[in-house]
Parts: sequence; structure tokens; C-alpha cells
Amino acid sequence: MNKVFTDGLSFALPLLIIAIGALYSEKSGVTNLAVEGFQGVGAFCGALVATLITPLMGVGNQAIIYIAILSAAIGGALFSCIHGLLCIRFRANQVISGVVINILSVALTAFLTSAANSAISGTASNKFVLDVSARFSIPLLCDIPWIGGLFTSMYPFEIMIAVLVVVMWYLMNRTRFGMRLRACGENPQAVDAAGGSVTRIRWIAVLISGALSGIGGMCFAYSLLGNFSPSIYQGFGYLAIAGMIFGNWKIGPTTLACLFFGLAKSGGLQLCIAAQLPSRYTDLFLLLPYVLTLLLLVFFSKKNRPPKAAGEPWDQSKR
Amino acid sequence: MKKQRTFLARLLTGKHAALWVSVLVILLTFVTAGILLLILKKNPLDAFRGFLQGCGILAKEKYGGGSGQLTDLMDFLNYLAPMILASLAFITAFKAGLFNIGISGQMLLSGFTATVLVGYNKELSAFIAKPLVLLIGMTVGMLVGILIGFLKFRFNIHEVVSTIMLNYIISYLTDFLITSNYLDMMTRNSKICTPESRMTLTNVMIGDLKCKIPLALIVAILVALLVSFLFRKTVLGFEIKAVGQNQRCSRYAGIRISRTILLSMGLSGAIAGLAGVAYYLGYTNSIVPNTLPGMGYDSISVALLGNGAPISSIFAAVIVSIFQQGANYMSSSVGVAKEIASLITGILLLFAACGNYMKYRAERKMQQAADSLPDHEAPSSTGAQAGKEAETP
Repeated sequence: MNKVFTDGLSFALPLLIIAIGALYSEKSGVTNLAVEGFQGVGAFCGALVATLITPLMGVGNQAIIYIAILSAAIGGALFSCIHGLLCIRFRANQVISGVVINILSVALTAFLTSAANSAISGTASNKFVLDVSARFSIPLLCDIPWIGGLFTSMYPFEIMIAVLVVVMWYLMNRTRFGMRLRACGENPQAVDAAGGSVTRIRWIAVLISGALSGIGGMCFAYSLLGNFSPSIYQGFGYLAIAGMIFGNWKIGPTTLACLFFGLAKSGGLQLCIAAQLPSRYTDLFLLLPYVLTLLLLVFFSKKNRPPKAAGEPWDQSKR
Repeated sequence: MKKQRTFLARLLTGKHAALWVSVLVILLTFVTAGILLLILKKNPLDAFRGFLQGCGILAKEKYGGGSGQLTDLMDFLNYLAPMILASLAFITAFKAGLFNIGISGQMLLSGFTATVLVGYNKELSAFIAKPLVLLIGMTVGMLVGILIGFLKFRFNIHEVVSTIMLNYIISYLTDFLITSNYLDMMTRNSKICTPESRMTLTNVMIGDLKCKIPLALIVAILVALLVSFLFRKTVLGFEIKAVGQNQRCSRYAGIRISRTILLSMGLSGAIAGLAGVAYYLGYTNSIVPNTLPGMGYDSISVALLGNGAPISSIFAAVIVSIFQQGANYMSSSVGVAKEIASLITGILLLFAACGNYMKYRAERKMQQAADSLPDHEAPSSTGAQAGKEAETP
């Protein structure tokens, strides 16, 4: 039972940070399906930096993890410039742009990984192996019956993400910048009339979404895979988008949705292990989150209210 | 420089604008890929020749016994057939304003169903089995498509999200079914289907060369003509296009939006089903478990490059297939990782997504040129201005 909560949380939090990335972009009026690509490229950049600095800093040095996560954020933000360029500057269709970037990112990271590996070690491998991240339990809290699992053997990045979520909520709902960002998604003309720059705000929002997704991708690489390989593209970005839609483009409900996905995934897997089924049955449990997503969307999508101007390129001369 | 720019602008706004945009996109891709190859210290021309040689369009230096340029060309056409079908599937939904990202999943499910129902049945003769696999593929694909359309208009679920979810569901489900029932222990793929049910005739001797004959290519070209006819001449095609352009306006005009969305998604799924059959019971004869065909995504770049037109997509499919199919030979002859093929396709997609912006810039340019015509001194100043504008937004 504890394992369900522990694994569920370590899956839900990276998912949540990606969902919040997508949320920032969509709230500013840029539809963002590209988070799947951002998280992959972010994870690639982080893993590359980690592989490069590990010989310098020594194997097992935990500081590497933080440097990797930081470089993942930077890498994700840089890569998100393509989405910004296409959607904001070139006024391309935002859905197409998102899909294009996802396809490009898979190809780009696969190519660069094998190129980098043959340059570093001389062997053509398609993955970077990462150090194991240290885990810790919060004393007292982990002894609470039932939900104690939430606080046992946590990854250090889980705390980081939790803090980041609160900061992002504050930025979105309690600051002047956040208000303008939300207005950009509803009525960009009003922002323009009030003297704000729609283009600039949207650019910042897309960059934020790139950085947050990059962090999420790197955390997935550490927690789920233990390496960086093409299997980082398992549709976590799309799952995060589903979580955002399910949470009706609000940070609070999105958090609940992502926690639910995480628990559904780990719960399914533990159920499979507990029932002692052959390993091929894990497939059936792995598809559980996706089926649940579809079912839940059936019930909740009708009432949803996406940002009004999302998907529309900003045109100053329009009224 | 200025003169060339106006010339380019005239091409991009003229009668064959769509064609010239595609040409420009391809040129830009070649230049970018060339620069990339130069950075890797390879000769771009060698690489491009490698791609063409791998597809049997140019002759290789030497061939093994029983194979020749024609063998490679037939292999290439065998790959081309599902590619054309998949891009037609994307186009059919795209015209109604829907993004069918789930072509991969629809291909996998229909290919799997056809393989299980017909491909493993050893008693059926070729004349029954071949039409039957097409029919099953079409039906399964259509059902998935209709499900997506239904979720879209009844429950307001964005088709991109639902197709992606379905992709993963189908991928895991078929993986489970294959590993529990239909696994070939040697190859770790599904067992191979019977030659009678396969849409490709193998080991046909043409002269002294052993070739494959892709029957699916005929199906693909027929479907391309049919889709072209649908959008040019029929009421349904017009309604689909109208819904894609402006839903509210079509509703006022008395078009039933729900029916149109269902039909276009169903058609798209059906064609994707055909693509799945052409891929899994043609190009290959078994299924790799837990792997979605990358072709479903490549087809999006084909459709965008072909500007959403069925016939021009055939040509676009040729270009994208050259990169994918020729990658292996190019990789071994030039020594670049074969992942570069997908990278080039990605770059192509990136430029194709900017196609509308290129057209828009060209129109602006023509307008500026027209505005400054009466005044003799103006052209130079506006030209300079336009140049400046292009550099600093």
C-alpha cells in the first residue's frame, strides 16, 4: 500500500510540472501540444550535461542531479523558442506546430544521442545512463498511518517541484504579470489597449512552459527510467495535457488530476504484482491511465471552458 | 537582391503558389540538411546520392546476386504505398479541420485484426483473402475513426488528445494479445501471415532479378483519385471543407456538423486502416509488438508538404519516402547515423508549417511593390524598408 503512494507521487509530480507548463502557455493564448517534445529535449540536455560532468565531479555526487535539472530547464526553454517562433512570429497553426515539434524532438534527440555517445565514448549507444538519485523520508510524517507512503523514500526533486508549483500558482493568480498573462488568453486586444505587449507576454509564457516541461522530463528520466533513452517519449506530455484539460485550466484541480493519474498508474502496477500475474499482463495495467483519462474526459469535458483566444495568432489590426 | 526577392514574391503569390511554396520548403530543407552534413564533415552530395541509390532511383556501385536497381525500386514502391494511404487519411480529416494524430494506432489495430482474422487462416485462397484483408482493415479503421468523431462532437474531447490516448491503448492492447497468443519465439515479433493474404507478391522474377510487386500501390493511387474526386465534385466533400473552414457559417448554411465530423473522421480512419493493411500485410508480414509505426507521423509531413491536396501528396510521399527508405544505404555508404532521415523529415515538417507565413510575406511584399509604383523614387526606400523589416521584427 505504501508503495502505491510512493511511486504514485514520484510519477504525479513531474507530470504536474509539465501540466503547469502547458497551462501557462495555453492561458496566454498559445495552444501547446509541444510539451511532449519539450520534456524530451529537456531530459536530453540534462542527461548530456550529467554525462559530461560526472567524470569531473565523481560518480554518486548528488549535486549533479541539481545541475542536470537546471540544464534541462534551460534546454527545454531554448527548444521552446521554436514553438514561440512558429506560433507567435510566423503565425503558424498552433496545433500543427506542436505536433511538428514533437516529431522533430524525437528525431533530434535520437540523432544527437547517438552522435554524442560516439563522440564521448566511441560506442554508438542510444541512451545516457544516469546515476541513481538518493531518496529520503520525512521523519514523523512518514509514520502517519495510511498516507505515510506519500512521505517515504522521496526524490529530492519532489520537494523542489512542490515548491515550484506553489510559486507558479502565486505568479499566475496573485501578480500583475499573471493577470496580464491570463488576459492575453481571453482578450489580447484588451491587454494591448492597456499598454501591455501581447507578443512579449506570450513569448515569456512559452519559455516558461519549455523550462517547466524540461524539468519534468529530467525528473522522469531520473525516477522512471534511470537513463535517457527514446523511451522518454511515452506520451507523458499528452497525459499532462489531458490532466490540464481535466483540471479545467486551473492549477488546483490540475494538481488533483495529476495525483489521480499517478495513483492510478502505480496502483494498477501494484495490483498486477499482488495478483501474481505473468509479466505480459502488465501491459493491461499500463494502459489503465490512458483508458481512465478518456473516460474521465467523457464526463468532464462538456463543462470545460478553455481560454477564449487560445489557438489564435495575435493580430493587432483585428478587433 | 531586391529584384530576386520580388521575383520570389511573384512566384509565391502567382497561379501556382502552392507548388512554389512546396518547392521552396524542399529547397530550404536541402540547404539545412546540407549544412548539417557539412558540420558532420560529410559531403552532402554523397549523402543525397546515397538516399537515391538506396531507393533504386540511382544505380549503386555493385549489387548482390539476383538483385538490382529494379529490386530496390520495387522495395521503395512497396514502402510508398502505405505512406500515400496514410497521408490521404490525414488529409481527409484535415479538410474538416480535424487533426488525426492517431493514424499510427488505427494502422496498428487494423493491421493486427486483419492479420489475426485472415492472415493466419491457411485455407483461404488469394482471391478471397486479399479483398478480405482490405475490407477488414477498412472496417476496423473506420470504427476507430467514428469513435474519435463521436467523442469530439458529443463530449467535446479534442481529437488530438483522444487519438493519442487511443494510440497508447491500442499499442499496449495489441502487445498483450500478440505476446500471449501470436508470438514467434525466434524473432520476438508476431508470427508471419500467409503469402495468400499479403498485399505484396514476393520473389517475382523480372528478367533475372528477384522483385516484390506491391499490389497496395494500385489501391493507394485509386484511393488518391477517389479522395480527389470527393473534394472536387461531391456535396459531401464540399460540406467537409466548409465545416473545416468555418463551423458556425456551415451551421447557418444548414450543414449538419455532427454528421460531417463523423463521416470525415470515419473516412479518415478507413483509409488509415487500408494503410495499416498495406504496411503490416504488405511492406512487412509481421508486427513488432509495442511499437507504433512511425509512418503515421511521417504522413503528417507528407500531407503538409502536399498542401493538403490528394494528388500532390503522392509526390510529397515520394520525397519523404526517399529519405526514410534510403536511409539505411546512405547510412552505411556515407557513415552518418540513420536517424538523420527522421531528422530531415522533421526539418521538412518545420518549414512546411511555415508555408502559410511565406505566402503571407510574399503577399505583403507584392502589396508594397504595388503601392510604391506610381512614385519613381519610392521603390528604393520601400525596398530598403522591407529589407529592414524582415531582419528586425
